[in-house]
Amino acid sequence: MKFETIAAGIYPELVYPPYKSTQKRGPQQPLLRIDAPLPVSRNITPSPRILLPYDTDLTAQGDGEPLGEKIVVTGRVADEDGKPVRNSLLEVWQCNAAGRYRHKKDQHDAPLDPNFNGWGKMMTDDEGRYRFVTIKPGPYPWGNHHKAWRPAHIHFSLFGNVYAQRLVTQMYFPSDPLFEFDPIFQSIPDLAARQRLISRFSLDETVDDKMLGYVFDIVLRGRDATPMGI
Amino acid sequence: MTALITTSQTIGPFSHEAWQWAVDLSAVANAGATGITISGTIYDGDGVPINDAQIEAWQPGADAAEAALDVPSFRRIPSGEQGNFSITLADVAHEGGQPAAYITVFARGLVKHQFTAVFLADDADLAKSAILEQVPAARHATLIATRVDDGSYRWDIRMQGELETAFFDYV
Repeated sequence: MKFETIAAGIYPELVYPPYKSTQKRGPQQPLLRIDAPLPVSRNITPSPRILLPYDTDLTAQGDGEPLGEKIVVTGRVADEDGKPVRNSLLEVWQCNAAGRYRHKKDQHDAPLDPNFNGWGKMMTDDEGRYRFVTIKPGPYPWGNHHKAWRPAHIHFSLFGNVYAQRLVTQMYFPSDPLFEFDPIFQSIPDLAARQRLISRFSLDETVDDKMLGYVFDIVLRGRDATPMGI
Repeated sequence: MTALITTSQTIGPFSHEAWQWAVDLSAVANAGATGITISGTIYDGDGVPINDAQIEAWQPGADAAEAALDVPSFRRIPSGEQGNFSITLADVAHEGGQPAAYITVFARGLVKHQFTAVFLADDADLAKSAILEQVPAARHATLIATRVDDGSYRWDIRMQGELETAFFDYV
């Protein structure tokens, strides 16, 4: 595949002082454009054995039903040509409905849910689609500044079809009042790029009386090395 | 058709439990591998070790040697409390001038993952490396692991500063 330069402002700023921990961790030298055949043509190849029975239903990993609003999240993963990214590993993780992660370092004074872990993984299908059932995550405070609260989000980790397509991002929910106060969201200069991280509500994906549906389509970098029609 | 890309966001501080499945597989892979070991520390711009990074290593030449593993040729290592990490690779023929492993770095405060690669100081073909020749000579040392007394290799990752690791954007 070919990886063209991404226009300025699409990626977040690596050093964005309002998000304090970027100040000493964001690289300051310009990225080096590197032509190397393997990262743009090959990838890791996970065995289907890694997929566990409840990896796509985060509400079914405990002995009972977790608390909160059950939702389904689905979407299509494509490359910059719009071609599906098929059979590709995707991981998700999130906090519970109360805004608490199952993680030893999460100090937020909100309850853990014994029936909710908050992680899953799956492979995209032949059309590049994925789908998982979960609980809508809550907002939570994170101590970056006074009254710093993260908008509700689900973390995504994607491996793509070639190594250079790797992406870790966050999916948000429509109309969150915290967007304008969140330095992580605001670290993306391009307004349209921010909007593309916001899922949309879908009545089509809503399942009867069971759960509301959200759609989050993802575009990974890279296009076919061979121009169309040749 | 041109589809506009989905941008990146930090992994944040809470990836560990969700990413643990691959860390567990990597521990098995590291323990079973008989190739070289590369150990180091990841530092921020103040020289403070980063204790909540995730480091992924890819050794494309190891697919056949590790075909029995659930994720061949791959390691995912969370940095330790001292920012430390250690990767043991498969014992396969190393192609001169090529990286020992391709590396991806993730961390809280890192809003986009960073690609880099680690080379070996005693690789006789480093001067002919097609990747290194695209990196300014003054920064080569940031990509080269040095041999230490016990026969393993030492390679640190520095996110900022005079010795900032050279990070890549693949063409």
